[in-house]
Amino acid sequence: MTVTTSAPAVLELRSVGKSYEASPPIEVLKNIDLTIREGELVAIVGPSGSGKSTLLNMMGALDRPTSGEVLIDGTVVNTLRDPSLSGVRGRRLGFVFQQFHLLPGLSATENVATGLLYHGTSGRDRKKQARQALERVGLGHRLNQKPGKLSGGERQRVAIARALLGDPAIVLADEPTGNLDSQTTEEIVELFLELHAQGSTIVMITHDKELAQSMPRVVEILDGQIVRREAVVS
Amino acid sequence: MTSPSKKSQRLRSRLRLIDVFRQALLGLTSRKLRTALTALGISIGIASLISIQGITEANQADARAEIDALGSDFLFITPGTGVTEDAELLPYAPAMLDTHLPALEYVAAIYPVDARARRNSLIPEVQTGGVTVSALTAADLDLLEPVNGSVAFGRFHDTTSVEIPSVVLGSLAAERLGIRHLIGHPTINISGNNFAVIGVLNEFEILNTDLNRTVLVGLNVATELFDTPDTPGAIYAQVPPEQLDEARDLIPAQANPAAPGQVAVSRPTEALEIREVIDETFARILQALALIVLAVGGIGIANIMVISVIERRGEIGLRRSLGATRRHIASQFIIESTMLSMLGGLLGVALGVAIVVGYATYKDFEAIIPWFWLSVGVGAAFVLGALAGLYPAWRASRLDPAEAVRPAA
Repeated sequence: MTVTTSAPAVLELRSVGKSYEASPPIEVLKNIDLTIREGELVAIVGPSGSGKSTLLNMMGALDRPTSGEVLIDGTVVNTLRDPSLSGVRGRRLGFVFQQFHLLPGLSATENVATGLLYHGTSGRDRKKQARQALERVGLGHRLNQKPGKLSGGERQRVAIARALLGDPAIVLADEPTGNLDSQTTEEIVELFLELHAQGSTIVMITHDKELAQSMPRVVEILDGQIVRREAVVS
Repeated sequence: MTSPSKKSQRLRSRLRLIDVFRQALLGLTSRKLRTALTALGISIGIASLISIQGITEANQADARAEIDALGSDFLFITPGTGVTEDAELLPYAPAMLDTHLPALEYVAAIYPVDARARRNSLIPEVQTGGVTVSALTAADLDLLEPVNGSVAFGRFHDTTSVEIPSVVLGSLAAERLGIRHLIGHPTINISGNNFAVIGVLNEFEILNTDLNRTVLVGLNVATELFDTPDTPGAIYAQVPPEQLDEARDLIPAQANPAAPGQVAVSRPTEALEIREVIDETFARILQALALIVLAVGGIGIANIMVISVIERRGEIGLRRSLGATRRHIASQFIIESTMLSMLGGLLGVALGVAIVVGYATYKDFEAIIPWFWLSVGVGAAFVLGALAGLYPAWRASRLDPAEAVRPAA
């Protein structure tokens, strides 16, 4: 899918800065401007300590910037109070984490279904959609397995299926392949490319430059600043 | 275009009520052993609370039934502790009491006899087996009335039998002397003289148990054979309840005009009533301990919940990323803690009721379920669980989502 500059912005960071109280204050993000448009697949790459996780916190409304604005779907979110902010996270964003964060007591389907838990969707609807999402990530044959019986790659697929549930505006993946071997990493990247082709908007954070290069757009961050923006037009 | 307020309405997180409980239950079922062990403290506390009360009430009901059966209007008169002759009760005091205190409904005395009862003369005299010999006169034939005694088999003394060598045996005396029936007209030997057994009494279970080990003979026979003096060892009297106090005041002077101060008049059922009060006090002390156990159980739950919050940082972070508000997180932990405590509470109720019913069955009492303490226990479990969950829930809800989703540094 071709992303043109005319596609609507789903996520915008405007002069976002973040510093932590200390003496002297630690400035983790400095004046970041970044726009993610609908349908984009973006890799944010940088070494550890570069501020990329903090950047993801800002994009995912998991934390508030010290300065600047964060807009999701055109709404300024950094001034929202907890209930509304949580609502934005739950309904407009999907998260994929390095440690998968699956609940050990639940089957794959039930884990994916938690993606709609805080939407007030009925249990039956949640499971129905969860099964569809699992089919989409190629796990239609592992619906009733508990996480303990799944491989690392399968677990991450379950987590991705969960993030896709509820049709979020953007999926944020924080080092999704950090715990996986190279073969599985490739499969997960393949899955992201596939989802991108189907129209999903995905931001993936990674420290792996090589992996980032396989993405249509790469944003490189170093010492809290964006040092490279590269849009690859396919 | 949607207005901002409508948009934020649409974006609001919502958790169905049933899901609130499902999530809390999930937290408990994912850690079954821990859940069971944590709930145990509450279970033990509540089971103790209920069973102590149930057992005490069953005992009290039984004692009360016993008191009612015995009659609270029964007085026991003894010469007192004096060692002088002054302490002796008047000969035939019952007859005198009867004359001068018409309020007495029944009155009877027994006279201690210095003799040994044996099955037969072949048994050495020293082997009395704890059996004692007492005598009564024709005036004392109402003995069974004030003490609420009854005949197991045979018959009690009458005006004829007290004049001839015949005996009525207490239940234990009959057992020790080997009298199980009256077939073949059994006899026993009292200090060398044969006495015909004419009857055996039923066992006295609570009061007057001394009578169980007694062999009752006629006083005239005893005086003739064993030189038994005609001074009563004890007098049993039954008085209408409203005249108890008056009778207590008047009896000593009647029974021993020479030294009324020596005469001891007691109401044996008082002892049972006092025992009831002691039981009650003891039950309260035990229940206070049970409440402490319950409180410790609550602290245990709070403790486990705090640990749980630390362990489940990732889960909390995940839920926050899925849209859970602080309130959702807090409610999950409070409800989990309350459910944990209630689980313990219900197990405790089941255990407590089982103990109460088991005890009642074993003792052949009527099982009394202490509903009040049962609800106190369940209520306490609920409140404790909710309280125990407050602090952990607050901590869980304050976790920074950005930090919670990543491994602890």
